[in-house]
Amino acid sequence: MKRYLVAVPVCLGLAFLAVPAKAAPINVMADACSGCHGTDGQSLGAMPGFNTGAPDAKSNAELKKLLRDYRSGAREATVMDRIAKGYSEAQLDAIVDYYKK
Amino acid sequence: MMKLSRRTFSGLVGAAGALSAFGLSGCANAPKVVVIGGGFGGATAAKYVRRYMPDANVVLIEAGKTHFTCPFSNTVIGGMNQMALLERNYDVLANKYGITVVNDLAVAIDPVTKTVKVKGGTVFGYDKLVVSPGVDFKWGALEGYDEAASAIMPHAWKAGPQTVLLRKQLEAMPNGGVVMISAPANPFRCPPGPYERASLIAHYLKNNKPKSKVIILDSKDAFAKDKLFKEGWEKMYDNYIEWVPAAKNGKVTKVDAKAGTLETDFEKFKPAVANVIPPQTAGAIALATGLADKSGFCPVNPNTFESTLHKDIFVIGDACMAGEMPKSGYSASSQAKVVAGAIAAMMMGDKPAAMSAINTCYSLLAPDYGISVSGVYSVQDGKIANIKGAGGVSPSGAAYQFRKKEADFAGGWYASICQDSWG
Repeated sequence: MKRYLVAVPVCLGLAFLAVPAKAAPINVMADACSGCHGTDGQSLGAMPGFNTGAPDAKSNAELKKLLRDYRSGAREATVMDRIAKGYSEAQLDAIVDYYKK
Repeated sequence: MMKLSRRTFSGLVGAAGALSAFGLSGCANAPKVVVIGGGFGGATAAKYVRRYMPDANVVLIEAGKTHFTCPFSNTVIGGMNQMALLERNYDVLANKYGITVVNDLAVAIDPVTKTVKVKGGTVFGYDKLVVSPGVDFKWGALEGYDEAASAIMPHAWKAGPQTVLLRKQLEAMPNGGVVMISAPANPFRCPPGPYERASLIAHYLKNNKPKSKVIILDSKDAFAKDKLFKEGWEKMYDNYIEWVPAAKNGKVTKVDAKAGTLETDFEKFKPAVANVIPPQTAGAIALATGLADKSGFCPVNPNTFESTLHKDIFVIGDACMAGEMPKSGYSASSQAKVVAGAIAAMMMGDKPAAMSAINTCYSLLAPDYGISVSGVYSVQDGKIANIKGAGGVSPSGAAYQFRKKEADFAGGWYASICQDSWG
């Protein structure tokens, strides 16, 4: 019972005070990618991540080239070629900039 | 390190919800967003509203203490994985994102007073409401198939005890038993789902009950990724899967669960295991609120997913009609971000950005054989449509390595989308 009483302020504190430091920019187009690549590009599994901490992390410029190549068909993929064709080159660049902010 | 029991935790979030309902939350003028449903759509909506609007007071109402995902539930039915893989909880949404998780059933929405009432009696006021209840079944629309019948002939079209029941029936079935899957007409949740299920059941039978087979009795003459499924079936399951289209009297018209029979216009079958996937509508709360039209699904503004029938209520996921977007977990999650962005913009007095969404769905035909369908969506001529030249399905006739790679990506997809929605 004592443990329960101690738990109250801690949990309420979490519920009300665990506010993210600042608002993430509203970028619905870029955030659509995180379904496969993880929130903020932090993929957990076989999908490539965009986060800079990953050992095989690609640079901003490398990612932009990769996406443009998927879009043009210069580079083969299982699915990213099909997805990249849904965006203009400028949109792909903007998506990379969002994840590499 | 102090440990909170789940019971303590649920009690507390309930108390926090009650406080916010009476306007006692930390920020008196903070935008109030209520989300109904803790599946892919609702969980993602709650999370992304808080990402875009950290000062928003977000309440997520979900009846289940945990959620079992439909994606990958066919791998449990096929014996590749255990139920624990599918189970998600709301701890991260509550603790990291500061969402008030209310473990209760939303029973009434009042669009005039802008309130949601839960079974426990608490009433939650909202500025904006996101409704993501998934589907419910049209019990009785297929003669003889009601909720009681589903305890004998499982649908397993909502993951959970039904998934376990179907798996147990397959395990108990003798070698030589026939499994029948009744697949519904469009529209329904997860269009490739029945065929992935047939594949993974066939995979189990081939390795464990080689005298058995799966017969799909279909109410349709075509289905999602059908060429790719048929190609894989020919390669791996030639004697294990039989697909009977509507044109060849595949449509099941009557079910007798107690007798164990399925009937089409001309034939009566008594399979060892019957999996009946019934016709569906938007979830009950959407129907009760008048958010659905005659089709049983909810019409929405294609740019924002705001209901065309009730202002300040947004309907996403399987319950809404989203043009060319299929009813899938990825669609729901992507739509949730569109809604979160639209709500944040509206609350800040801005115009919502142009609608932009993706769907990517993998189907497994075997543990090492995956195929996918993808789409990139925008609003074109007032409707949500796939962008020309983008999307589509995996190539036909691809080499084994390609299918294997997509099976690996299916696992990566699942890990990422669950993290993006609940983690």
